[in-house]
Amino acid sequence: MDKWIKIALIFTLLIFSLEGFAQKQRFPKPEFGTGYSQPTPVTPEPRALALEYTDVIVLLIVLSLSSWIAIKDRSRKKMLWLSVFTLLYFGFYRDGCICAIGSVQNVALTIFDPGYAISITTLLFFLLPLIFTLYFGRTFCAGACPLGAIQDLLIVKPLSLPEWLRKTLGILPYLYLALAVLFAATGTDFIICRYDPFVGIFRMDAAFHMVIIGIAFLLMGMFVARPYCRFLCPYGVLLNWMSKFSKWHLAITPAACIQCKLCSDSCPFDAIDYPTDEKQVKQRIWGVNRFLVYAVLIPLWIIIGGYAGSKAHVWISKANPKVYLAELLISKPEVRLDEKNLDVQAFLSSGKSMEMLVDEASVIRRKFYFGGWIAGGFMGLVIGMTLLNQIIFRTKKDYQPNKGNCYSCVRCVTYCPVKN
Amino acid sequence: MRMEHDIKLKLSFNIALVSGIFCITVALLLLLNFMQMSKNKPLESKALTSLVKRLSQEPNSDELKQEIRNFDLLARKAYFNSQWQVKTGGYLLLFGAVVMAFALRTLIGLRSKIDEPLLKNDNELISRMMTQKWVIITGTLLIFLGLVASYASVDHLKKYSVDESVVNAKPSDDQDKIEVIQVGQPVIKADSSVKVEATSNVKPNKTINPEKVVTVLSSEKIVPVIGKTAFPGSKEIRANVPSFRGPFGNGVFYTKGTPVEWDATSGKNVIWKTPVPKKGYNSPVIWENKLFLSGADNTIREVYCFDRSSGKLLWKQQVDKIQGSPAAAPKVTEDTGFAASSLTTDGNHVFALFATGDIICFDMDGKRVWARNLGVPDNHYGHASSLIMWKDKIFVQYDTNKSRKLIALKASSGETTWETLRKGKISWASPILAEISGKYQVVLSTDPMVAGYDSESGKELWSVNCMMGEVGPSPGFGSGLIFAANEYARLVAIDPIKNAKVWESDEYMPEVASPVCANGLLFIATSYGVLACYDAKTGEKYWVKEDGTGFYSSPVIADNKLYTFNTAGKMKVFEVGKTEKILGEGDATEKITTTPAFKDGRMYLRTPKYIYCIGKK
Repeated sequence: MDKWIKIALIFTLLIFSLEGFAQKQRFPKPEFGTGYSQPTPVTPEPRALALEYTDVIVLLIVLSLSSWIAIKDRSRKKMLWLSVFTLLYFGFYRDGCICAIGSVQNVALTIFDPGYAISITTLLFFLLPLIFTLYFGRTFCAGACPLGAIQDLLIVKPLSLPEWLRKTLGILPYLYLALAVLFAATGTDFIICRYDPFVGIFRMDAAFHMVIIGIAFLLMGMFVARPYCRFLCPYGVLLNWMSKFSKWHLAITPAACIQCKLCSDSCPFDAIDYPTDEKQVKQRIWGVNRFLVYAVLIPLWIIIGGYAGSKAHVWISKANPKVYLAELLISKPEVRLDEKNLDVQAFLSSGKSMEMLVDEASVIRRKFYFGGWIAGGFMGLVIGMTLLNQIIFRTKKDYQPNKGNCYSCVRCVTYCPVKN
Repeated sequence: MRMEHDIKLKLSFNIALVSGIFCITVALLLLLNFMQMSKNKPLESKALTSLVKRLSQEPNSDELKQEIRNFDLLARKAYFNSQWQVKTGGYLLLFGAVVMAFALRTLIGLRSKIDEPLLKNDNELISRMMTQKWVIITGTLLIFLGLVASYASVDHLKKYSVDESVVNAKPSDDQDKIEVIQVGQPVIKADSSVKVEATSNVKPNKTINPEKVVTVLSSEKIVPVIGKTAFPGSKEIRANVPSFRGPFGNGVFYTKGTPVEWDATSGKNVIWKTPVPKKGYNSPVIWENKLFLSGADNTIREVYCFDRSSGKLLWKQQVDKIQGSPAAAPKVTEDTGFAASSLTTDGNHVFALFATGDIICFDMDGKRVWARNLGVPDNHYGHASSLIMWKDKIFVQYDTNKSRKLIALKASSGETTWETLRKGKISWASPILAEISGKYQVVLSTDPMVAGYDSESGKELWSVNCMMGEVGPSPGFGSGLIFAANEYARLVAIDPIKNAKVWESDEYMPEVASPVCANGLLFIATSYGVLACYDAKTGEKYWVKEDGTGFYSSPVIADNKLYTFNTAGKMKVFEVGKTEKILGEGDATEKITTTPAFKDGRMYLRTPKYIYCIGKK
């Protein structure tokens, strides 16, 4: 009964938090003159600095709690309630912004655009989870990420995916990261934010297709646990790297593993590594030769990837509004007469010359060209390294969380009969 | 216990089922709403559009207006109703989804059995082989997609650049039309790379095709254009003429060795003269080696850039294709014209304003950067107030019969940084910049007040009610005081810190020419031909010179000498002193209403047809 009271309390909080942050309705101005003087639009005041610092403090507390629960307390229930709080605070109350995932773009932009300065709160949102991960594993994913929390709470019947599919789909976050950094560095767009599938749900205000995508992710997440975290999250790439070197990481058993195998199916994210089957290792038909071939092929992957990325720069750069507008005006000059095309009309009313627009667009495209080389080369490296990793066998004797992929959600701990 | 488990199982199943049906129903309704709104967009109602069209034909039909309002109200109701439905539906769907998820979790939890633990990947080798295969396929696919994208997309920008390079390869028309005519002096090439042909012994007052440039090249060293700094400091501003009446608009030029005699007829001390293609009452502004003017008639508006050393027209740009610019030019009087406002420059860009309300920015090479229309001014003479800038802002005293505004525009983009609505009446005076208590203020003179505004925020800092009538003269600044005057009003000295009048006089007052102050002396030039000198701090009158011909051109001070031009084109140069002493005279032989600019010992004067460079030979 106590459980139902808690659930009812969450719903009440949820509804109130949504109501308070409803977006304003929009409607165009009347088109005929009435003598009424339209008031000048006013830019809303930014969020008070004190509140931004409060967010950082809350993040710090949540990360500390999450790490303490994962490493010391090992209570799944507490982790669950922490993620509920995260969902309500960082998700519904803070509208999913600012978040560590999107902050990757702010960092990229501040590196490549001297005219942009990242705020200290954004920088902290980017760094704090990485620092915590370096020490305690991906406890950010377990209890401090609203995107992870909303998916985690809706896991109903998780299916185990075959390894080849997980590894193949695992390339997508790298691609998403490369594109997000490229788009941010060229000042094109913050695609992580624009295509965040859950922010529309947090804000109850999004384009129809984004709402559909968000719902689709949640429905999929009922059976394929945390699909966004596992197969899209670009920040997860960085967390994965950090977590591999984490000093203290969640362990399934607090003492020696008794090889009971009870935990083997407990992880909905397939993030438990099994003991190495020595027989199979000995049976492998590839050996040093294939390792060398894959190692030698890595530079080739990088070059070919970079080349393909650079070749694709024309197409990718069309996502930039300035490039798009310039190309639209060149390829379809009649669009100038289209009064409904607000971008074109805004450009015409700015009085900028076409030459200037083309010059600016060309500079951006040039950036995409170099960015394409880097992003493509990076993807080539990812492919090459993923292949190489398939050749390397590391001896594991126990059931243990994969330090890179484990979200430290503490589910597996519950299954372990060894409690002390 | 068993019973309780079954009840829980049944209950959670039923809740999951009901919430599932509820979610599907709400989702379907939302989808229906979306489809309906996509099909029948209330914002694009054809009926409303046709009614609005009809209104343009029958603008006075109250019945039609009421009908439009009714339709508009209906459209709004439909739109907001739909929005409400979407929002409410969204909340309901979210609520239903959360309930369903919890119910499903409970249901699955209750049904779950403890499975016998099994190793999932019983053959890791096969799994790894599969992984390698699929990773290679994915990598290859990504590369393939990148290459396909490159061949499937067209680089329109490159195409545009190729076309442009062809156009740029042609010599410009202006270059072809340049003709150099000597005015009493031998021709000296300023730029050896440009071959110019000189025709000798042409009288300076000869009627010349305005498309051709009449110039005498001087040997003066061309000063390179200042580097691309964010904005110039006061030192750079004082070294140039960035606005009407010189640095900060105070009428004081910081140069030495200016000529005191010249004659347009004989060519004495005339370094060069060049026709200005179109009419304009704006005065020259200068940055380093470039001199800027504008000209306009009721159809064409242009900005000109001249080489200050040679007088050669470096570029001429039309001011057109600006959204909001009126198709038909507003009515202006003959003595105001369409290009009365002097330009302003920061050394990186030049800005021009016209009577149509068009304001435009070019870089120093004539490349258009931005343009906008500030709204066609309702001005019974025509807009005349000049531009001035400080740091990254251009200040526009945009007075019309409807509203009085001081607007600060962002120099880089033309966006409005701030806009201060002012009380008072329309004025034709120009803003000046005065450094008061270490900060630059924009000072304006209008009926009924003279006021100072914070150049950063536009906030009115002080205001003294002392003016009246149609104010034409701009304020002056010197000795820590602001001076303002207008015919039939007052000559007033204001302490801007104390926000109070220091002294005032009603003896000699200008109609158009602005007061100028230097060395503790104030000079006033009236439209009825009187030049008066006052003590700037006390208002004591030192001397009065009756010229006989009125002054529209503002008196200015350069090289510690007072330069005056009466409307007959006669120049008189006075010593800046407590006693009247004429240092020299000159004659433009044309009506002079503009104010000369001085730089590097030379005077630049715009006459109705020409721009002159006068210097010691």
